[in-house]
Amino acid sequence: MQGKCGLFFTSYRGEAQIFQSGFQKLMVGLFVLVLLAAPAVLNVHLTSIMNLIFISVIGAVSLNLLTGICGQISLGHGAFIGVGAYAAGQCTLHGVPFPLAILTAGLITAMVGMVFGVPSLRLKGIYLAIATLAAQLVLEYVFLHGGALTGGSNGLLLDPPQILGFSFDTEARMFYLLLFFAVASLLMVSNLMRTKYGRAFVSIRDFYLSAEIVGVNLFRYKLAAFGLSSFLAGVAGGLWAHYTGYISAEQFNIGLSISYLAMIIIGGLGSVIGSVFGAVFIVILPEVLNAVANGVGNYFPDIAQHIVALREGVFGLVLILFLIFEPEGLAHRWRLIKAYWKLYPFAH
Amino acid sequence: MRVGRIITAVSIVLLAGLMLLGCGGEDKKSAETSKQETGPIRVGGLIDLSGPTSSVGVPYSQGLVDGVKYVNQSGGINGREVSFDLQDTAYNVQQGLSLYKKMVNTDKVVCIQGYGSAVTEALIRNVAKDKVPNFSASYSAHLTDPKKAPYNFFIAADYSTQLRAALKYFHSNWKEERAPKVAFIYPDHPYGLAPIKGGKAYAKELGYEIVGEANVSLKAIDATTELLPLKDAAPDFCWIGGTTPSTSVILKSAKNIGLNTVFYTNIWGTDENLVKLAGDDANGSYSNQAAAVYGADVPGMKAIEKITDGKPQMTHYMRGFVSVLVMAEGMKRALANGPITGETIKTSLETLRDFDPMGLAPLISYFPDDHRPNMAVFIYTIKDGKLTFVKEEILDRRADWLGH
Repeated sequence: MQGKCGLFFTSYRGEAQIFQSGFQKLMVGLFVLVLLAAPAVLNVHLTSIMNLIFISVIGAVSLNLLTGICGQISLGHGAFIGVGAYAAGQCTLHGVPFPLAILTAGLITAMVGMVFGVPSLRLKGIYLAIATLAAQLVLEYVFLHGGALTGGSNGLLLDPPQILGFSFDTEARMFYLLLFFAVASLLMVSNLMRTKYGRAFVSIRDFYLSAEIVGVNLFRYKLAAFGLSSFLAGVAGGLWAHYTGYISAEQFNIGLSISYLAMIIIGGLGSVIGSVFGAVFIVILPEVLNAVANGVGNYFPDIAQHIVALREGVFGLVLILFLIFEPEGLAHRWRLIKAYWKLYPFAH
Repeated sequence: MRVGRIITAVSIVLLAGLMLLGCGGEDKKSAETSKQETGPIRVGGLIDLSGPTSSVGVPYSQGLVDGVKYVNQSGGINGREVSFDLQDTAYNVQQGLSLYKKMVNTDKVVCIQGYGSAVTEALIRNVAKDKVPNFSASYSAHLTDPKKAPYNFFIAADYSTQLRAALKYFHSNWKEERAPKVAFIYPDHPYGLAPIKGGKAYAKELGYEIVGEANVSLKAIDATTELLPLKDAAPDFCWIGGTTPSTSVILKSAKNIGLNTVFYTNIWGTDENLVKLAGDDANGSYSNQAAAVYGADVPGMKAIEKITDGKPQMTHYMRGFVSVLVMAEGMKRALANGPITGETIKTSLETLRDFDPMGLAPLISYFPDDHRPNMAVFIYTIKDGKLTFVKEEILDRRADWLGH
């Protein structure tokens, strides 16, 4: 316990900390330690779910940077992840070491993202969404007809990641690699929020006219948002490619873009921890549905098949319920829960 | 704040170090192929029971389930029962991967009955690493090359072989002097694109004149705009590489614009539903099939009619049934030589030579360097609303055709 009433700082540096109280730092540290110990306790299947969650976290936080923090709606995120996947895949197939391949994939995706971010100069809201949808469709076409570059309809077969001869070919090894990248990307975006770029992004989202009057160069910062978000999407794509070992055009379709949008809506637009909640929720939802279907199937054999068929319906229903009852997402609900316990018994 | 910085630096180094070394001392948790000596032989099923392909996935899965039932009723694998765990992949690669990992690591299956291209191809590396044979319903040619996909099998001729068989059949029936004209209609989708290159090369080899191509999406509801240019080209023979809904759309649109040609569909483009969807327009079209139609006069049909109480089933059901029969044969041979593991099943399958799946499909042989089951394709036509057998077209097992 701090012994202080509330949180106060005596310097700007203190106020700008990402983890502001000792308690918060302790909790985050404990959480990371638990995660580090997790593969020893979880079976391979659960470890693989955690790996999928880590990749989704990176993708979700990058989309949240673009849509939640900077306010630029993007329907092309799935395609950008695909660009990163193919770029990283081609790099490793040509002998580039894995960390450099991921970095290159991120940079290439950032450039592609900035190209498709150019319409943001003139378009806002739903019109920008349609322009990014065009990006999604164009890139999907490129993936399918890329010839030798993308493997065309056959896709690319890739080896597991290798760093200095150490091969990450089991779920547990990939767990640590992906944990590292997930933590790094979350810290990167959290840090971004307290820099000039982050403040500019938020001001553009809140009201672009005022931002422009105050001196924020709209086009430059919007392009930067597209670039940074696509960089992280490229990293997520590169990791996904090496995790599954096979990439094809079908994996990066509009369904993936929608799934990431669902993650940030359910998690909470504009918050880093919301991206994590959203990613966990969307990745775990089909597993829970399967478990329910299998469990119910023991008592009512026929119902199981119908429940499983309702999956898409459940996905849409969950999204709508969240928008009605929890429009600010799970991050808001988490803050309320924390506040309740902090203020206990004076919560209202 | 110095303390904070030191702690941050130490934790980053620790994390990075753990990332690199952390699992060094751990055992590799890749699945051990189960070496059960007794007890049921576990097989996993990864089928699209929901989603856009569920209309063929559900009958296919029914064929698998009934195939397992038949194998168990006929004494199992030398007395051991086959236990089949059917799961829905819902046309989602992530879902398929996650279910696969659970089946192989937690449930310790020795063999997988797979389904669509997306999940099957995503699993190529995994099944090779975990040494679990995967019988897919995706008949892509590159799955037949053991150098790329050592643990993938399927029981029908691959899509490229089917297209080549169709070209050969039509060419052998071509009576006129001039070169026959062929056009290709396919969706802009890996499934549609896969056989086209090989098909065009073989068409040129046989002496066809390729007069046109058209892209009709799998979800199309009207194909008139795409087909009009083909009408001017007047092909004698038109290949459709879609699925049943898109095929029926193409047949109906062709009738509307007066495109008179012989249509030839591939295996997923024609089934009993095509007659219901396209009606009269389906009459006169040809198709590739890999399994007998319900009610055909073959030994296996008696067993199927008994299990299904005489209720007609689709050709997809038949193929699922055959897939299980072939898998069971591999398991029997493996068990005769020692314990059943994924690896022994694979090597036993590669000893199959002209295995006859009770007459339901052409003879099947696998080789260690060639996983093409056969080069035989059943040619069917639709006459008076019924699938009617025409010929079994057999091609040479050419080495230059392996894998594409």
